[in-house]
Amino acid sequence: MLVLRGLTRIRTVLLQQGNTGLRSLTTTSSVVQPNEDRLIKMENPYKEPQKGCLLCNVTVDFKNTQLLSQFISPYTGRIYGRHITRLCSRKQKEVAKAVKKSHALGTSSSR
Amino acid sequence: MPRYELALILKAMQRPGTSAALRRTVETLMERGAVVRDLENLGERLLPYKINKHNQNHLRGSYFLIDFYSAPNILTSLLDHLHRDVDVVRPTVLKKDDQVSSSNCCGS
Repeated sequence: MLVLRGLTRIRTVLLQQGNTGLRSLTTTSSVVQPNEDRLIKMENPYKEPQKGCLLCNVTVDFKNTQLLSQFISPYTGRIYGRHITRLCSRKQKEVAKAVKKSHALGTSSSR
Repeated sequence: MPRYELALILKAMQRPGTSAALRRTVETLMERGAVVRDLENLGERLLPYKINKHNQNHLRGSYFLIDFYSAPNILTSLLDHLHRDVDVVRPTVLKKDDQVSSSNCCGS
């Protein structure tokens, strides 16, 4: 009984002292200020320019035997695959066609 | 715009022989109504392999390139004529396209 009374006394004292503090805290948190650290939407400024394959902007011709010889084996004369030349599909196809064309036209040897 | 390209390999001859052969070729082209636009000499060099043509084994040849506009129906007769010419080692007519280089490649 005595303990209960003591507790109630402490409680009232605390409420008198601390209530104003509690109230002030709640009032400030209700207003939301714009956060300057929020992310701005923009394109990646560190984006690297897209790299193309070796023969980007290079015309592949059956007459250009020196260029074509770089994509065939010097021993067997076979055309290197895409995993070796690292060309894009379009240019790889062009090179293969040009090599075969030059063989047929008598511009380069197949052996 | 050049429609066709004639990749011509002529027998290795002296200057007057080569010029006469070229003259004959261009005249046959013009007879059939083709408009010759350009004639390029890619030089005389060793052929990549021995070519046997007209009962002759050729080791050297002179390469020429003739751009011309023409109707497509004359090509078979033209090729027939060129195959019969003794001085011509290998005639080939190709279609010429300019669009390949202009399109964007690999997103560059």
